[in-house]
Amino acid sequence: MTIGYKSAWLLLLLVVAVSFAFIFVPVYLIQPFAPQTERAVAVSYFLKSWSPIVTLLIAIGVLGLAFAAWKSSKRWYSKVPLILPIFLALLFAWFARQNHFEWMFNPLASSDFAKASAVDFVKDNEMVLAVKIDGDAVAYPVSLMAYHHVAQDVVGGTPITATY
Amino acid sequence: MWQSVVNGQTLKFKLAGINNQNFIMRDEETGSWWQQVSGQAIQGPLKGSELVSVETDELTFGAWKQENPNGRVLKPDAKISVENYDPNWEPEVARMPVRVTAKLDETLEPRTLIIGISLDGNSKAYPFTAIEKQAPILDTIGTTPIVLVLADDGRSVRAFSRIVDGRKLEFLRKPDTNELVDAETASVWDFTGTAISGPLAGKQLTKIPVIKDYWFDWKTYHPETQLYSLGAR
Repeated sequence: MTIGYKSAWLLLLLVVAVSFAFIFVPVYLIQPFAPQTERAVAVSYFLKSWSPIVTLLIAIGVLGLAFAAWKSSKRWYSKVPLILPIFLALLFAWFARQNHFEWMFNPLASSDFAKASAVDFVKDNEMVLAVKIDGDAVAYPVSLMAYHHVAQDVVGGTPITATY
Repeated sequence: MWQSVVNGQTLKFKLAGINNQNFIMRDEETGSWWQQVSGQAIQGPLKGSELVSVETDELTFGAWKQENPNGRVLKPDAKISVENYDPNWEPEVARMPVRVTAKLDETLEPRTLIIGISLDGNSKAYPFTAIEKQAPILDTIGTTPIVLVLADDGRSVRAFSRIVDGRKLEFLRKPDTNELVDAETASVWDFTGTAISGPLAGKQLTKIPVIKDYWFDWKTYHPETQLYSLGAR
């Protein structure tokens, strides 16, 4: 395959822009403290579902295009800038595999419990979410839940997801 | 609070996004997106499915411990710094803007704390300040007569059906206590909904699930909700 230096750059910019869109359109649409429409949520879901594979294929394509452009140019200053689209494509492929909401609210590594009588990390006037199934009574302090938002548990034999 | 099993499959949920200030969770098994407040799958292969809710109380730790001295309590994650577990996060969040697609009742501030009840397809929101002033609140949702009760701690709220053995009861607060007295038999009832003395001693009121929520969030996911407005707000 032969491809000119300029056309390689044009294609590089185009596919990196596509990769960027797959990553940042959903980040923008489902940001906190903004209103969301059903359509915006559907678009975000579509882009997020496809972003891992799309950004990976684009990263591979970018490597190929950059290689072709590298070969068709002779001067160092026309080769070095090719690092930028490679860097961006790899960055987006990496980001597509991250959960940036969990950067802010770390997930609970494991659900560990203390006996009610031995608790010193919740004050009596603090709120808890309480569940009781088949005599198994569990309290999830709101201070913890407002940060983690999700906790997995099995209460009285029933697998539950505590949410807040 | 939800059961984790859908169609015989146990799902593991992760935080995955925000929809009108209520979070979206994603299950790792199918990749579907679920709305935290409604338990509905809104995107993905399980779209349209609903999680089964688990009866949940929102109480002070003190009130819960009194009823469940042998219960267990979720422990903080040792790897998370304690500042992240700030129990006073509410005033901070209250300063953030509210921009949602729902049409809000202009008479109530969007971040007013309410107690929401959904019963037989009817929804109603009770401003927390109204409960503080008026508890016990006697009301009827659809055809079910209910009572909203506030515990001694002034923060824990429960709701019960007022029908006992086919008879509708009217409740009054017992002076200088947070216990209730029913007008029909003068039995005394505590915060668990149990009659502790009088002719109905030992009877148990049927609990009705309540959710503490911001008004705008409740309204977003219960667009047809009524708003309790007797006097106090």
